Amino acid sequence: MYLVKHFYEQHSKYLGLVLLAGSAGLSRKINKAEVHRPGLSLTGYLKGFVPARILIFGKQEIEFLRELEPEVRMERLSSILTPSTPAVIVARGFPPPKELISACDKANVPLFRATSTATNLLSRITFLLLEEFCPSVTLHGTLVEVFGVGVLIQGESSVGKSEAALGLIERGHRLISDDVVRVKRKEGPYLVGSGPELTRHLMEIRGIGIINVAHLYGAVCVRPDKGIDIVVKLEEWDDQHFYDRVGLDDKFIDILGVSVPFHLLPVKPGRDVVLLLETIGLNHRLKDMGYNSAKEFNTKLLETIAKRQKKRVGIENRA
Amino acid sequence: MKIVRKVKVKNSLGLHTRPAASIVKLLQPRKSAVQFTHKHETINARSIMSILMLAARKNTVIEISVEGDDAELTMQHLVDAFESEFGEK
Repeated sequence: MYLVKHFYEQHSKYLGLVLLAGSAGLSRKINKAEVHRPGLSLTGYLKGFVPARILIFGKQEIEFLRELEPEVRMERLSSILTPSTPAVIVARGFPPPKELISACDKANVPLFRATSTATNLLSRITFLLLEEFCPSVTLHGTLVEVFGVGVLIQGESSVGKSEAALGLIERGHRLISDDVVRVKRKEGPYLVGSGPELTRHLMEIRGIGIINVAHLYGAVCVRPDKGIDIVVKLEEWDDQHFYDRVGLDDKFIDILGVSVPFHLLPVKPGRDVVLLLETIGLNHRLKDMGYNSAKEFNTKLLETIAKRQKKRVGIENRA
Repeated sequence: MKIVRKVKVKNSLGLHTRPAASIVKLLQPRKSAVQFTHKHETINARSIMSILMLAARKNTVIEISVEGDDAELTMQHLVDAFESEFGEK
């Protein structure tokens, strides 16, 4: 549940918010990632008015209110300050009309003043709220950046996710989070993973214990968040399973409704997982640049076969 | 088989590193999949870092979900560990 007080605590500095009235309503809920300039609603036209949006008063709203008779002003304001209105923000540091202050106090709707313009507030607050309300999930896995590609390593406990990540860090790649990854779905859609604040950049390695990677290898080896480009699942080598041998068909996995390229990577002694993960990362970059090694080779092969076929037909016709 | 139960963190320091390690240790020989839910966060109980991330203080409630053949026994061991305050009593 996201309350006005959380929004105020987190963003008051960034938006330059000052609480002016209606402090009793600070525990109102924000349910929608939407902000609204009530211009038309102030004229008394309320058809289609969505009450659960944060209201922003810009210069025009303030000027318009000033021109109204005091009773009308009060009446129009009371009609838009509904029980589900989260908050009212007055832009550009304008002093709000007396009626707005008293209406907010009466209806227990928090009233703020902000420094920036109404348009600026509309976009900034929409962005902040979208960020807050975006779907998220906590996954078991390790997120690393390999050659700039975000790789989420998954697999059963003790399959060697952390060890693989440690190997990658040692080779100059970066750790985002070990064991627990918070994944958010951003507008686009695309996925961004980060580590929980408390255990950020910490790893648990069996036989050693908890280590702090940022301290051991330096700031260059970590980063706070990263888009998830590929998911690699490590699993113990299973002789019964037929693993991908050509790479012609891309596999995908669904995370929060976004499909992400997926690789199943079997692990057994003698297979250098770190090197394999690097190769997957590089191959992904190559594919992103429009070059698919497997497909390119297959096209070349088909052409060669077709050429031979033609030659053969030519020889047969001559004979 | 799946069992879900709620337990209270009773030891005064909460779920810190040692209790987390003892939970992971007692789960090692067990086959079931074990998850803890605390404050809308669901994590894999076999991962120390995940348990630590919860930073559960004393008197908070943790929902334990165990699924697998040895679910009953696993749940019993876990509940006993929480009850005995991970030997910190």
